[in-house]
Amino acid sequence: MSPTPTPQPTEPDVRPHAFDGIREFNQRLPNWWLFTLYGAILFWIGYWSYFEWLRVAPEGPQRVELAMTRIEAEKLAATAALRIDDKSLWAMSRNTVFVDDGRQIFNANCVACHLQSLRGKSENPLAIGPDLTDQIWIHGGHPTDVYRTVTQGVPEKGMPTWGPVLGTKRITEAVAYVLSYHQEGEPIVDASKIVPTK
Amino acid sequence: MRPTSPLRPTRDTVSTIREDGSHRFLFPADAPGPFRRARRAAALVLIAVYLSLPWITVGGYPAVFLDVARRRFHLFGLVLAAQDLGLLFFLISGLGFGLFFVTALFGRIWCGWACPQTVFLEHVFRRVERWIDGDAVRRRQWAEAPTTASKILRRAAKHVVYLVLAATIAHLFLAYFVSIPALWGMMRVAPGENWGAFVFIAAATGIVYFDFAWFREQLCVILCPYGRLQSALTDDHTLVIGYDWARGEPRGKLGDAGAGDCVACDRCVQVCPTGIDIRQGLQLECIGCAACIDACDEVMLRVGRAAGLIRYDSLSGLTGRRKRWLRPRTVLYGALLLAGTVVAAWTIAGVRPAVLSVTRMVGAPYYVDGDLVRNQFLVRLVNKRAEPAALAVTVRGLPAGAVVRGLEAPVTVGPLGEEIRPLIVQEPRSRYASPFTFEVEARDPRGSFTLRRAMEFLGPEHIPAPAAPPASVAPVNPNEPSRAHP
Repeated sequence: MSPTPTPQPTEPDVRPHAFDGIREFNQRLPNWWLFTLYGAILFWIGYWSYFEWLRVAPEGPQRVELAMTRIEAEKLAATAALRIDDKSLWAMSRNTVFVDDGRQIFNANCVACHLQSLRGKSENPLAIGPDLTDQIWIHGGHPTDVYRTVTQGVPEKGMPTWGPVLGTKRITEAVAYVLSYHQEGEPIVDASKIVPTK
Repeated sequence: MRPTSPLRPTRDTVSTIREDGSHRFLFPADAPGPFRRARRAAALVLIAVYLSLPWITVGGYPAVFLDVARRRFHLFGLVLAAQDLGLLFFLISGLGFGLFFVTALFGRIWCGWACPQTVFLEHVFRRVERWIDGDAVRRRQWAEAPTTASKILRRAAKHVVYLVLAATIAHLFLAYFVSIPALWGMMRVAPGENWGAFVFIAAATGIVYFDFAWFREQLCVILCPYGRLQSALTDDHTLVIGYDWARGEPRGKLGDAGAGDCVACDRCVQVCPTGIDIRQGLQLECIGCAACIDACDEVMLRVGRAAGLIRYDSLSGLTGRRKRWLRPRTVLYGALLLAGTVVAAWTIAGVRPAVLSVTRMVGAPYYVDGDLVRNQFLVRLVNKRAEPAALAVTVRGLPAGAVVRGLEAPVTVGPLGEEIRPLIVQEPRSRYASPFTFEVEARDPRGSFTLRRAMEFLGPEHIPAPAAPPASVAPVNPNEPSRAHP
């Protein structure tokens, strides 16, 4: 296809071996190309010394563990800031900032079943969720019980497990909003303690 | 720089690498002519496009703004988000098909006319070099001249201009990713405040400077995989730059009896930016820049012979056979390119500024509560725009009597934000016969777009009452402590 090249003044320097008739020129690589090779070798010495010989850096699994511990610590710190016990949940329910944030979360996620008034089936028998303003607590009346019910849900009844969807902070705020309809120490009926008669 | 003997290219060695492995710096001569004029015009347009795109605003954003930090990609008013990453498939496959098609037809036209390496080297950096050091002969003389104050001054001036140009190219490159105002903001504060950007600019400037000041044709000849790939895509009918062997050989001086048209002036070798002799046939190093065409035509016209001894032609045409444009290869590559373009256009037209997804809530697929069958869903809305979006979500295609709870008011999703809302559908048990499909629809209040998702409503198999409530078959959350429920 292409014309034969101009005859060469000198015979090219060719290596002695041949594979399937393919022969190799004996030519020097570009110096800049060799420098990249030498640079890579130098890098390897440093890398190998750091990670394999002197072992200055933590190893793979160790590093993963370190990172996981750090993430967990951050999560714990965030939860520790929001102490979830009966006392602090009651305190949050008296804090207007918490309650306002909680109202927004409640209105976005909970009103479909419990209605805007929180009264659920008491307001409209066709509503899905029970009344959250009365003194009858189906799944336990302590603030921590309410928190657990929201986080874990009640799959048999259709109460979703909100934990993975909303996260600790927003659930705490929503619980504070529900509790703001109640008083600490008010007489409650803990229905979870009543043995079903049926 | 060491003295350089005249270039005698052979096909057995890379002429820009000496026997000791050092880089043989080339001093290609300037070859004025129609191809250089056309090439320079193309290069100026491309440089203008590169320099101006970050400054032009379309829809409140730069025309091309690849905002990696916020994962938003603005292309002439089209906003793409990380969710549209799939479109990258069309970019990459389109580049592939485009390369196949163009290369099969026109050879390495990209390399000689449009590649940034050639555009910046031939039309910016070499022009600066020519302006400061003079033509090829003068440049070679300066390189071989002993070190004098005049030479040092000249060299310093040239490299300062190179560095300024390299820094400009690097800054404009970064502007595509951070926008001009942000870049200007970063340039006006201490480097330490935007350490990453500073290191990036410094490294990019250094690489561009090294490339255009020293490395030059080594990139095309040795590094660039694109050039190698293109060389593998050509055939006998591809348009390449070639030497008319039959017409030119045997070479001889003007007036030699029996000599061909080539006057052996070696002008084509002197102008070649990669240091080859095109008369030795098509070679891997040829970037198709057409400098040798301009050079040879000038000589041919001067000696009163027809132009085109070196010309754009196919290997077939150069050996006197017929050149064919329509070949199985070009038809196939063209069809692939066309199909890819059509599908890409169709997909891009379907890109919406928000995402709607509907999933069933964790728990039982349905609940029976009194006379009502209930299905619970989570509606997830993602806003891809940088401004808040209010989306009205409605449910369509439900049988009469079904009730929808949740999503009564439009949902406001913050800029680049995401919102999740419960959606509950209830159907009277007496009317429920079998699963049915309905549609969840999210609509932009301005009516500019609508998103739809089809969902299925499920219920108990048999209508005959009173069946056991599905509570008994509902999956129990393993985290739930087993307790009695009233």
